[in-house]
Amino acid sequence: MNGADGALAFHGVTLRYPGTDTPALAGVSVSIRAGEVTWLYGALGAGCTSFLLAAAGLAPAHTGGELGGSVRALGFDPRDPAGRAALAGRIGFVTAVPASQLSGVAATVREEVAFAPANLGWPVTRIESATASALGRLGVAHLADRDPAHLSGGELQRVVIASMLALGPALWLMDEPASALDRAGRDGLVSLLVEEAAQGAAVVLASEDADTMLAAADRMLVLEHGRVVLDGAPDVLLAGGEIWERAGGSTTIASLARRAGGLAGPVPALAAPYPLTVADGVARWS
Amino acid sequence: MTRRAGLAARAHPFTLFAVVAGVAALAFLVPAPAGPIALYALVASLALVTGNARAAGRAALVCLPLWVLLALLHGVGGGFDPRSITVSRAGLAAAAAQGARLGAVATASLVLFAAFDPSRFLDAVAARGWSFHAAYLVVATLQAAPRFRRRAAAILEAQRARGLRAGGGIAGRVRSLLPLTAPLVLGMLTEADERAMALEIRGLGARVPRTALDPPPDRAGDRIARWTTGGLVAAGIAWRVLA
Amino acid sequence: MSPRLLALVPSAVALNLAIGFVVNQLGLPLYLDTVGTVLASALAGPVAGVLTGIVSQTVRSLYEGFIWFPFVAVQVLIAILAGLAAMRGGFRSLPRSLGWGLLVGALAGALSAAISWFVFTGVTATGVTAVTLLLTHLGLTKPQAVTVSSLGTDLLDKTIVFLLAGAVLRALPERALGRYPWARRALCR
Repeated sequence: MNGADGALAFHGVTLRYPGTDTPALAGVSVSIRAGEVTWLYGALGAGCTSFLLAAAGLAPAHTGGELGGSVRALGFDPRDPAGRAALAGRIGFVTAVPASQLSGVAATVREEVAFAPANLGWPVTRIESATASALGRLGVAHLADRDPAHLSGGELQRVVIASMLALGPALWLMDEPASALDRAGRDGLVSLLVEEAAQGAAVVLASEDADTMLAAADRMLVLEHGRVVLDGAPDVLLAGGEIWERAGGSTTIASLARRAGGLAGPVPALAAPYPLTVADGVARWS
Repeated sequence: MTRRAGLAARAHPFTLFAVVAGVAALAFLVPAPAGPIALYALVASLALVTGNARAAGRAALVCLPLWVLLALLHGVGGGFDPRSITVSRAGLAAAAAQGARLGAVATASLVLFAAFDPSRFLDAVAARGWSFHAAYLVVATLQAAPRFRRRAAAILEAQRARGLRAGGGIAGRVRSLLPLTAPLVLGMLTEADERAMALEIRGLGARVPRTALDPPPDRAGDRIARWTTGGLVAAGIAWRVLA
Repeated sequence: MSPRLLALVPSAVALNLAIGFVVNQLGLPLYLDTVGTVLASALAGPVAGVLTGIVSQTVRSLYEGFIWFPFVAVQVLIAILAGLAAMRGGFRSLPRSLGWGLLVGALAGALSAAISWFVFTGVTATGVTAVTLLLTHLGLTKPQAVTVSSLGTDLLDKTIVFLLAGAVLRALPERALGRYPWARRALCR
């Protein structure tokens, strides 16, 4: 399935939207491995959303514009109709706005989660068990008979993720999926992503929430002006100074250490590598 | 969604559509004015005995202004001088026939809508292997319409708060349409773009037959109702051709 | 049908219904319930417009009873003509929108009159029928009165629809237009 290229491979990918001079992606080459959580980080307009859209085959098909280079998702070209047919149901795509990802026809949460498997012609028994399992894993089984239109933002986001989970995707592409979730919801999502990766899925997630992602991600890609400018382990990149200077990326404790260091002058206890978690900070400063 | 009660709600969705289509066809096939009046009486009585009095009442309210206009247009002649006004029996009969046609069709279709369960309809279409996409368009619109209406009301309120003057003469009110319509259209395009991506990912374009999750039963009574309706329409056509 | 069409059509129909609500709130003697149909044709071609027109009439019929369903033919005609207008750059400028609006209004009015007379014996929407009634009392025959009232109503209504659709299309950001090749032709860009 993945070959030498991994679950998702970009080779010299350039994406340009209509009516803009600057490309959204500018020569991105990267290979994403199955079994890992890969975290995309970048300021607004850095190209994270475009990366995910191109990986899912949604850009430029739905956005307009031109895409150069090559994209292979699970070994298929998502731009090619045959590739898209082969990828149907194997990609889990989640954005920050849950309401716009609903089917538009489901009267209950159960129907919402069952919508995609039914479109793919799965047998009813398989749909029922996949739906029940997905609702249970997202902690929304009690909402099964509710109308999706009457859910809170956080509940809706869990339902949308459950509707993707029911498909058992091999490649997750998520854009700020925790934006509507509370702390417990974010922690639950992190556990789910780690479980999915442990079961062999490739997980790619764009997020600005360094505190949450530090615990989940195996690898971090930092994007700037449509290019991958840093690629490495999240704890290593976040503890260094370059990510802070380039994109302001940091956990809360590391930001605190940097700012305190800036105020206090050259104090060794406040110099890089910065502590990334509360536990690191306590260990270093106590 | 709560399952609606009553005979119409228990009927197969296609039976309801077949009966409405049959009533519409018969309304124009049966001899006027007695035929349409009898048909309206029958449809309204059936609506009442099957617990659909509200739908029948709504249909009558929809038709009421039309009945008045029909009577005036066909039954009353002459100019603006009250002394020149004439009343035509034949015209009133024609108006009664047309009014009864509208009443019968409106009653049957509003009973259908009161009993319409979008999920059962989608499953019925999927189970028959008919165009799920066509059914999707109708049901998705029924869900989108109240959302857009709320959005329109909010935009109207917001623009008024910003000083939009939507009163005064017709020309001023027409001019105020653009600042009200433009945000609605932008919202429509954004929603359509995001929904299109979600539907693509969720396999709505897949070239496989969709699974019917809980198809409604097509009972003997449903089949009898559909065949009877079809038979009556065929008889009406035959009578028209022969007569 | 493509997912893009499946997503666009319900939104365009909902726009038809929502603008009907706005017009009602403003107390305008118009329908403007084909703005979504015309925009769907101008953005994504006549197939999108025709589907929008058919679904619009179906959904309105579900809400209000199927009595007005025969007017679906008018929605289809407007969608096809709006597609033709888009192919010929009919939304490029205000005068062009005006010209196409008048043409579509005249043809739609003629079709409305025929449906009003042959299916509904002259009585359709309340406002139009009131005009018909007035004209018969002024001495016109019923078919003449139905034709004049339908033509007059549709000429005004569809002209405003085309002017409004043109203004909205010209105001759309370039990035939105880039997703709809038909819109570029409609605006000659």
